[in-house]
Amino acid sequence: MRLACDTGGTFTDLVVEDGDEIRLFKASTTPDDPVRGVLDALALAAAHYGLDRKDFLARGQMFIHGTTRAINAILTGNTAKTAFLTTEGHRDVLVIREGGRIEPFNFTVPYPEPYVPRRLTFEVPERINAAGKVVQALDEAAVLGIIEQLKEQQVEAVGVCLLWSVMNAQHERRIGELLAEHLPNVSVTLSHVLNPTLREYRRASATVIDASLKPLMFKYLNGLTNRLREAGFAGRTLMVTSGGGIMDAEAVARAPIHSINSGPAMAPVAGRYYAERDFGNAVAIVADTGGTSYDVSLVRDGRIPWTRETWLGQRFRGHMTGFPSVDVKSIGAGGGSIAWVDSGGLLQVGPKSAGSTPGPVAYGKGGTEPTVTDCSIILGYIDPDFFLGGTMALDRDAAVAALKEKVADRLGLSVEETAAAVLALATEKMVGAIDEITVNQGIDPSTAILIGGGGAAGLNAVAVGKRLGCAGVLIPEAGAVLSAAGALMSELSSDYAQMLFTVSDRFQFDSVNEVLAKLESRCQAFAAGPGEGALEVVTEFSVEARYPHQIWEIEVPLGRGRIEGQAELDALKQAFHATHKDIFEISDPNSEVEFVTWRAKVRCRLREGGSGRLPTPEGSGPMMARRQIYFAATGWVDAPVVRFEAMAADEPVTGPAVIESSFTTVVVDPDTTAVRTEGGGLRVTF
Amino acid sequence: MTASAAQKARDGVRTAILSSRMESIARKMQNTLFRTARSGILNTAHDFSCVILTADCRFLAAAESLPIHTLIGPDLMCQAVKKHHPVLKRGDCFLHNSPYEGNSHAADHCLIVPVVDDEGILRFFVLAKAHQADCGNSRPSTYLGDVVDVYQEGALIFSATKIQSDYQNNDDIIRMCKARIRVPEQWWGDYLASLGSVRIGERELLALGREVGWDVLEDYAEAWFDYSEKKMVDAIGRLKSGRRVIHAAHDPFPGVPDGIPVKVDVTVDALAGKITVDLRDNPDCQPCGLNLTEGTSVSAAMVGIYNGIIDHGVPANAGSFRRIEVLVRENCCVGIPRHPFSCSVATTNLADRVSNPVQRAIAEISAGHGMAETGPIMAPGMGVISGKDPRNHDEPFVNQVHIGVTGGAGTAVTDGFLSIIHAGNAGMCRIDCIEVDELHHPIFIKARYLVPDTEGAGTFRGAPSAYTELGPIDGCTMQVLYTADGTINVAEGTRGGGKGGPVRAMKRELDGSLTKLPPCYGVTLKPGELVVSYSAGGGGYGSPLERDPARVLHDLMEGWISAERARSVYGLVTTGSLVDGTLAVDQAATRSLRASLRQTQ
Repeated sequence: MRLACDTGGTFTDLVVEDGDEIRLFKASTTPDDPVRGVLDALALAAAHYGLDRKDFLARGQMFIHGTTRAINAILTGNTAKTAFLTTEGHRDVLVIREGGRIEPFNFTVPYPEPYVPRRLTFEVPERINAAGKVVQALDEAAVLGIIEQLKEQQVEAVGVCLLWSVMNAQHERRIGELLAEHLPNVSVTLSHVLNPTLREYRRASATVIDASLKPLMFKYLNGLTNRLREAGFAGRTLMVTSGGGIMDAEAVARAPIHSINSGPAMAPVAGRYYAERDFGNAVAIVADTGGTSYDVSLVRDGRIPWTRETWLGQRFRGHMTGFPSVDVKSIGAGGGSIAWVDSGGLLQVGPKSAGSTPGPVAYGKGGTEPTVTDCSIILGYIDPDFFLGGTMALDRDAAVAALKEKVADRLGLSVEETAAAVLALATEKMVGAIDEITVNQGIDPSTAILIGGGGAAGLNAVAVGKRLGCAGVLIPEAGAVLSAAGALMSELSSDYAQMLFTVSDRFQFDSVNEVLAKLESRCQAFAAGPGEGALEVVTEFSVEARYPHQIWEIEVPLGRGRIEGQAELDALKQAFHATHKDIFEISDPNSEVEFVTWRAKVRCRLREGGSGRLPTPEGSGPMMARRQIYFAATGWVDAPVVRFEAMAADEPVTGPAVIESSFTTVVVDPDTTAVRTEGGGLRVTF
Repeated sequence: MTASAAQKARDGVRTAILSSRMESIARKMQNTLFRTARSGILNTAHDFSCVILTADCRFLAAAESLPIHTLIGPDLMCQAVKKHHPVLKRGDCFLHNSPYEGNSHAADHCLIVPVVDDEGILRFFVLAKAHQADCGNSRPSTYLGDVVDVYQEGALIFSATKIQSDYQNNDDIIRMCKARIRVPEQWWGDYLASLGSVRIGERELLALGREVGWDVLEDYAEAWFDYSEKKMVDAIGRLKSGRRVIHAAHDPFPGVPDGIPVKVDVTVDALAGKITVDLRDNPDCQPCGLNLTEGTSVSAAMVGIYNGIIDHGVPANAGSFRRIEVLVRENCCVGIPRHPFSCSVATTNLADRVSNPVQRAIAEISAGHGMAETGPIMAPGMGVISGKDPRNHDEPFVNQVHIGVTGGAGTAVTDGFLSIIHAGNAGMCRIDCIEVDELHHPIFIKARYLVPDTEGAGTFRGAPSAYTELGPIDGCTMQVLYTADGTINVAEGTRGGGKGGPVRAMKRELDGSLTKLPPCYGVTLKPGELVVSYSAGGGGYGSPLERDPARVLHDLMEGWISAERARSVYGLVTTGSLVDGTLAVDQAATRSLRASLRQTQ
């Protein structure tokens, strides 16, 4: 039995995979002691299986955990007192950053404060140049002086990022030794170890963020593993990572930055599996709809594109982690997004959200602002009596009254016209987010499928897919818990990178192969260590390359882990030109290519197959009903309502229709057709 | 409901949806250009803009772009394209950089594509403007302040030159550029990047027109303009009415030994919802590279206005422009340039001398709005570096660097934004990474940090100056060309706020001594020699004695201001000590010190 547990802001979700079946349990999150919420969810599951918690846990082989603990600590400023050590003359790396700003005429947003205050920033006399040569030797006496100050200030963590430590790490390493010797109880992160990437700001930023999380995450993960063990769990505890993989909890405690963007990183892992299972490995756009955010990611050729431009908070206003993570574009649009009319008479949706408290008006929990969910109820998409399997009654009349007063009357439209317009505008914003990530990755949406995850995905996934001109839309059977399903499917993985700059017309074959060999042996060591006993080990090599004078690299897969001879180099160049053309519509086939960073990723598959299926709930209500639903194109229509679980693979449902399960509602727009796939998902084509 | 009211309501919905799609198209254009460009000025510094205009050349939408590039100018350039090419066909693309026909300085190459529908009707224009690393000037810089005219400047000037027909390049023009521009392959790469950008914009607009219908798109444009105008009326309505005349001046420069005085005459009519800026009473074009173009003169005034209204909910487009009148005249250094006067530095120096007094005038007319002055620019820390790269077969290199520049002005509601760069830029460009610059060029950046006590003091203070020290690596002789304003006339504060720190330029000789350098200069550095640069600080808004003591304490603890300045300028009295973490505001003593400082003022 495998357990995946995701501690969110409101709920702690637990997915239990037992043989071919998965089951979902929800407990309240307990912010004062989040492990208690985890144990509560486990108790619910144990009760379902008729076991006591100890016996239940004893059956678990693997506990995969996702938590917002690290990101919340950052957002609420509850991280360790952290110092930053950097090269003399460059103390303001974290202040100056890389510039950039959004909204040229918005002067109400102040310049962000540095992650580590300037008063805890220390300059180390030393300098290494771009070629990796020592220009100024490390002044160890000065470092010892700084260490005394760190002691005086009672610093709890230290991040060290020196210029060009990615080319020559000797100074950083020596500082690490001095800190270990003189400040043995203080957490330290060295930039070349954590994130060996060019660009000092993002490397430094990742370094100090990581250091600042270490005391807290060590304590949390230590507590979690101990309490799970005390409760009877004897299996392996793993954490999901921002890279879409899983790592042993102890490894995450040593580099907690891996966990900060792990939430949205799991959906594409599930998406990759469904794309392969149901769509022959087509390019997939994975959209996860939550209450407040809409997260878009991609899968291409079975790979999930990643980025280093990951921000905590808004772009240019938050902090960049500079750490490779799954490329996810998030916008503030979800079921809770509030509809309103601005002073110019224009309809707006979001960015304000009613969130889970007070939530949509129809929830009757004190919400007064009409939301996207309210509009879906008004349009008949959501059945007020069958929400979450009928466990929560919804007040449609209250939703109508709020939308009428706050929006419809101000626009001079009927309530249903307004509700349809709100959904159309929300759809448009979602399409905008997808457009942005697909253009960045050079994907033509018309050749892609859209995979909708999250409980609210089905409300407009078909509309989004249609608007994008996608090849089809897939709502997986476990779509409502896409992230947790992804956690169950994810593989133990580790990434390694090393910088070595070389140009195709004077390619350093020997040095490159040396670097690749070194990366490969690190992958092998990982496979033999944490990956021991894996069913399958895959090592993938890639290089980040660019045209001369370009500054942003693109990732090109390397067929195998060596480049021997001109023919293989030529093939690599060709692959670069093709990838560049794919992404940017242009290539420059006569140009040389610059290679910057070499990477290897090892993935250890710990289990067979994808995910189990959700069993059909007992007493699942009428198989077929009819209800009035509204579309802008048709007005009110009498449409069939079909039970998701009861659909047979050979019985297509033609829109307008609604397909419902206890977990989700899928609106099948007019002129579209939904069929159940072999795997149990729902495929809609137009 | 009446038929027209129903129509209006539907517009409110459709306009919202289509404006989201237009923004998305402009953003796609922008992403393409940023990620494929070859030169640092584009792919690192982000010095480019992407715009969509209507068929009658009105500015409709832009990705978040440099305001000085985009507000006015794209419209004038599309008009030039229509004038010189009355029949526009699908597949055409025009290269335009003429400062006499709407562009900014000649280094900003624009590619303009008419979006022609399947019936051959012109529907929109898309335009990408990208600052070139080199544009064939007589010296390796895209900013030549010390030239008497366009001939001495030497830039290749293109006036609506058809560089593509039927999607194919006119190779004659490509060869002309390659023969004259110093880094031909880099230029070629940047051309391809810009071309990719405008072609993506064209493709997307064609698809949108086919999907929703061209008439719907035209109706949308009008509705969007009307909406934007209404938002502008509301924003101006929140200001106080009044008129201010402000005199500013650009520092003395080669060709203008007394500097250039600039007079802005600003009238806010809150009731009528209109702001007028009169720039006509200013000097004629000058024998230097500082003259503005029509596009940058008007845009500069508008930058001051959009900064000053403090309402970013107003879309900046041809609709809200209806509520602005900028009066300019022909043959004026802050108006319409006369050929062959040079406009080589038309986006920055003198343009800021228009924007800054406009935003300051609004502050003086209407408390709670407007801004202090943003720091003047072009210290050597953002100079154009050139030479031969010994690491790369002595291949020539030329590029502008954005290493040491700050400049944000205090506003009515926030401190100066550190990385604003200059008024017309609005912080849209990036600041260089040390490591990327050192990898990309044979340059060594010894130091870059911010300088205490250089902020314009205020209730909301300006950004501090940046210090930079840089030079060539071994085996390289490097030239650094810069055109610095602000060594004499610094950023002014407003409503009682203080001045920002001045720009300074020096050379560090081999023996470590410092030699002062002129403000507009090209310094040649041998290995071991360094240029030292102080960028300008931003001006402050409101009296520093009104600044929240907690903010003053924070600035003191973070080293932005010294203890002496905290006391004498901000009137802060503290207890405890910084070292043991007990430093705190002595509220009573601060109140009484501030009272006595107010008396002595």
